[in-house]
Amino acid sequence: MFLERLGKELLYYDGGMGTLLQSKGLKPGELPETWNIKHPDEVTDIHRQYYEAGSDIVLANTFGANSLKFHDSAYQLKEIVEAAIRNVRKAAALGVQDEREVYAALDVGPTGKLLKPLGDLGFEEAYEAFREVMQYGEEAGADLIHIETMSDTYEVKAAVLAAKENTNLPVTVTMIFDEKGKLLTGGDVPSVTAMLEGLGVDALGINCGMGPAQMLPVLEEIMEYASVPVIVKPNAGLPKQRDGEVYYDVEPEAFAETMEKILDMGACAIGGCCGTTPAHIRAMTDMAQRRRIKPPVYKEHTIVSSYGRAVVLGTKPVIIGERINPTGKKRFRQALKEQDLDYILKEGVIQQDRGAHILDVNVGLPDIDEVSMMQAVITELQSVTSLPLQIDTVDIRAMEAAMRIYNGKPMINSVNGKKESMDAVFPLIKKYGGVAAALTLDEEGIPSTAEGRIRIAGNIIKEAEKYGIHKKDIVVDVLTMTISSEPGSARVTLDALRGVRERYGVCTMLGVSNISFGLPCRPVINANFYTMAMHSGLSAGIINPSSEDMMRAYYSYCALMNHDENCGEYIRQYGNQTGTPLTAQDTSLTSSMTLTTAIEKGLKEEAHHAAAELAKTQEPLDIINQYLIPALDTVGKGFEAGTVFLPQLLMSADAAKIAFAVLKDVLAKKGGEDRKKEKIILATVRGDIHDIGKNIVKVLLENYSFDVIDLGKDVSPETIALRACREDVKLVGLSALMTTTVVNMEETIKLLRKEKPDCKIMVGGAVLNQEYADMIGADFYGKDAMQSVYYAQSVFAGSLS
Amino acid sequence: MDGRTLEAVRYLGYGNHAIDDCTLELISSSFKELETAESRRIVYRIFDVSLEDADCVMIGTMKIKSRKLGINLEGCERAVLLGATLGTGVDLLLRRYALTDMARVVVLQACAAAMLEEYLDDWQEDLRMEQKKEGYYLRPRFSPGYGDFSVEHQKEFLRMLDAPKRIGLSVTDGHMLTPSKSVTAVIGLGRYSVSCHQSGCRECEKADCAYRR
Repeated sequence: MFLERLGKELLYYDGGMGTLLQSKGLKPGELPETWNIKHPDEVTDIHRQYYEAGSDIVLANTFGANSLKFHDSAYQLKEIVEAAIRNVRKAAALGVQDEREVYAALDVGPTGKLLKPLGDLGFEEAYEAFREVMQYGEEAGADLIHIETMSDTYEVKAAVLAAKENTNLPVTVTMIFDEKGKLLTGGDVPSVTAMLEGLGVDALGINCGMGPAQMLPVLEEIMEYASVPVIVKPNAGLPKQRDGEVYYDVEPEAFAETMEKILDMGACAIGGCCGTTPAHIRAMTDMAQRRRIKPPVYKEHTIVSSYGRAVVLGTKPVIIGERINPTGKKRFRQALKEQDLDYILKEGVIQQDRGAHILDVNVGLPDIDEVSMMQAVITELQSVTSLPLQIDTVDIRAMEAAMRIYNGKPMINSVNGKKESMDAVFPLIKKYGGVAAALTLDEEGIPSTAEGRIRIAGNIIKEAEKYGIHKKDIVVDVLTMTISSEPGSARVTLDALRGVRERYGVCTMLGVSNISFGLPCRPVINANFYTMAMHSGLSAGIINPSSEDMMRAYYSYCALMNHDENCGEYIRQYGNQTGTPLTAQDTSLTSSMTLTTAIEKGLKEEAHHAAAELAKTQEPLDIINQYLIPALDTVGKGFEAGTVFLPQLLMSADAAKIAFAVLKDVLAKKGGEDRKKEKIILATVRGDIHDIGKNIVKVLLENYSFDVIDLGKDVSPETIALRACREDVKLVGLSALMTTTVVNMEETIKLLRKEKPDCKIMVGGAVLNQEYADMIGADFYGKDAMQSVYYAQSVFAGSLS
Repeated sequence: MDGRTLEAVRYLGYGNHAIDDCTLELISSSFKELETAESRRIVYRIFDVSLEDADCVMIGTMKIKSRKLGINLEGCERAVLLGATLGTGVDLLLRRYALTDMARVVVLQACAAAMLEEYLDDWQEDLRMEQKKEGYYLRPRFSPGYGDFSVEHQKEFLRMLDAPKRIGLSVTDGHMLTPSKSVTAVIGLGRYSVSCHQSGCRECEKADCAYRR
């Protein structure tokens, strides 16, 4: 059996297929998979040569056989896959004379499309395409699934899940890394390895992209992180071009020579990719006869990852940002209720800027659909930050939904010592991968002694092992209780921290700021406790990275404990400061500038300051009418006259936005109500993924106090019409960049006319003009962003009068 | 001002107007940030060209109905197909700033476009030297979407270059390139040089365009 041999003895994959098919007459642009049926003997002959050359695993000719890539009217996908596996079987019968056990692998390559949010392929669509071909493959008798040539962690996650959920076959995965050890989509070796091992692949490694020599440094890094057997399948060198044709020029002997080094470094299964031939594989297997396998070594790193970044816990303390959480935050709850994702995303971006390494994500409110909200927030956050996320929820359905669509290996907050909790959470960790935050409480509650908490940690670790979850994927939270009600609690927590580190060698975390609940001047206690906790072995503190006291504690601790080389980070943070807070000198810097000037010049900090100053003496609404709006009008007119340009217009808009926010806060504190705002829907139409134009219009409309419902990009006519009806919206703005998507704009207008006849429609975008807009039946064509503001004003002025 | 800054200013619609220091500073810091976010890659192949008739061109196995491309490739025996991208990092940067700083988004967008053009120009210079040795002269770059050269060819174009696998460049169902800061283009190779325009921009019929050279 394949799995019994994998990692225990050296195994050999085959070499290139494409170039050999071309030499047999495959034309450029012709689908290679059709040859399984059109020319089965030619395909079988190539497989046979590889078996004869010593390959144990031969890949069926199914690389591009998925419904997203394979479009052929003559053949069904199913018959292609059946024929492909049949050809490998036939080749084994012809080519293997020494009775060794050999395998037919279903070869699964990428879809050739970029996944959302940067591309237009949905995660579940990708999953479906993979599921289909994988089920055909298993039915046709494949021995394993080999997913290869992948350059996107998200796509490979869809593929691995499809294989695991729909077949019982072993799954091996190889990805394309470049010379810097990066995927095309930015992932690095630790993040890719952590995610794939979390998903439970049987082996992983690298193929294509480079020759064997260039792969050595990347392999070295893989060996540092991978616990499962490692596969290496290089090209026959770097691709070269001659007369427009791609070729590879590393000869079989030289290839084999480098492959020997690759075995020395610890690869367990080797083969070739583009440009390699049966001669390469023969030379490689001959060389390997004198080698013995180096069995895989288990690695203890605790890693959480995103698509592009891995965070390793355990040495230098890590900051988990706590701000994406509605607890005690009125504005955040409001954002959740109104599905104002931008507000939530900004919280994420700010925390990243302030130095967070991981972001906690909690969107639980009693009266919202947490499953869909969690999915939306995770997806959107992953398109604006590369920080790994911590999925924080008590709703097990929301937890699973988030883990499924998360791009990487997440942290999970949380599991605890109650049987019910472990029964629910551990199967998810086993299936999707993740690092679990384990709270030291159980059916009896929270032990009041350190020893009690250490004992529960032990129970949780033991229970996790039953699922095959190693303790490196458990981070113990020994819990922080406030010292105002339990005087000895800080000491208990610190003792427990040390205890779990010493006894089990696991990583730890804490929600730090609980410690000071009920006390005055909380930041002082928090920061000191934070330092003590780090010194007692805290791997990850959940804190507010915008709290200067906490960050000072953090940077100081890292500098003091030699976690900050040459105090570099500390100096970067505080090198320009004299030890006193900044605010004093800021005041003198900006007090002289009026709000009007600040907005006209687009200076954010100055606008913030000037608005705050004015608000001390004047009513917020007066400030808006006397300073803000006139300043915006001046800039808007300048833009129209061609003396102010788009960047300046937007700088002013951003400055005004900040001033508005200041005044809104003042208003809220005084208990005043925001006046009811007119709603406008904005969307980029279906098929169009460029949203810059729409976003510019949005900023300006918001400046003029419209309530913009931003439906995003690539939005279907139905979604737009439904929302317009549901919220009784009187104006919809549609954007399209390309001629090919203007048809969808027209379709949207038709549907809106039918479903919401009293709604006005304005359109804009690079390819539109007045004539075009008239033709598709829009009410208004905005040639630039200011025009849409004026039109919106006229629409609602009309409706009021 | 260096070439790419001038180009970025043009993309921002300044025309002949003087640019203010604030925006200029924004442009310079945007280029700096892009340099760490982008991972530029290019892939190309050379194919035989034949003109079927006045408005139909064959490049390799790709049949293209386009009079404008036909004119561009007149007298060419071969053509380079190329795909180039600045990678997904730039898109992520743009999405991130769309939350907090639209002015920066607009400027980053313009700078990225200028950067991509400059990358192609530099690369094309090497190609020009190399092809000159073989006795070929380069025609101006001509991309799907110019004139009557339909963007619907993007998919086949990328397949001929194996671009999704080689450089991570793919196309949506709506024929848009992803990552968004990407280009595909045809460069004709002819035996004689044509004294001609530098850019395909002027081929465009939208004469009132604010970004026209």
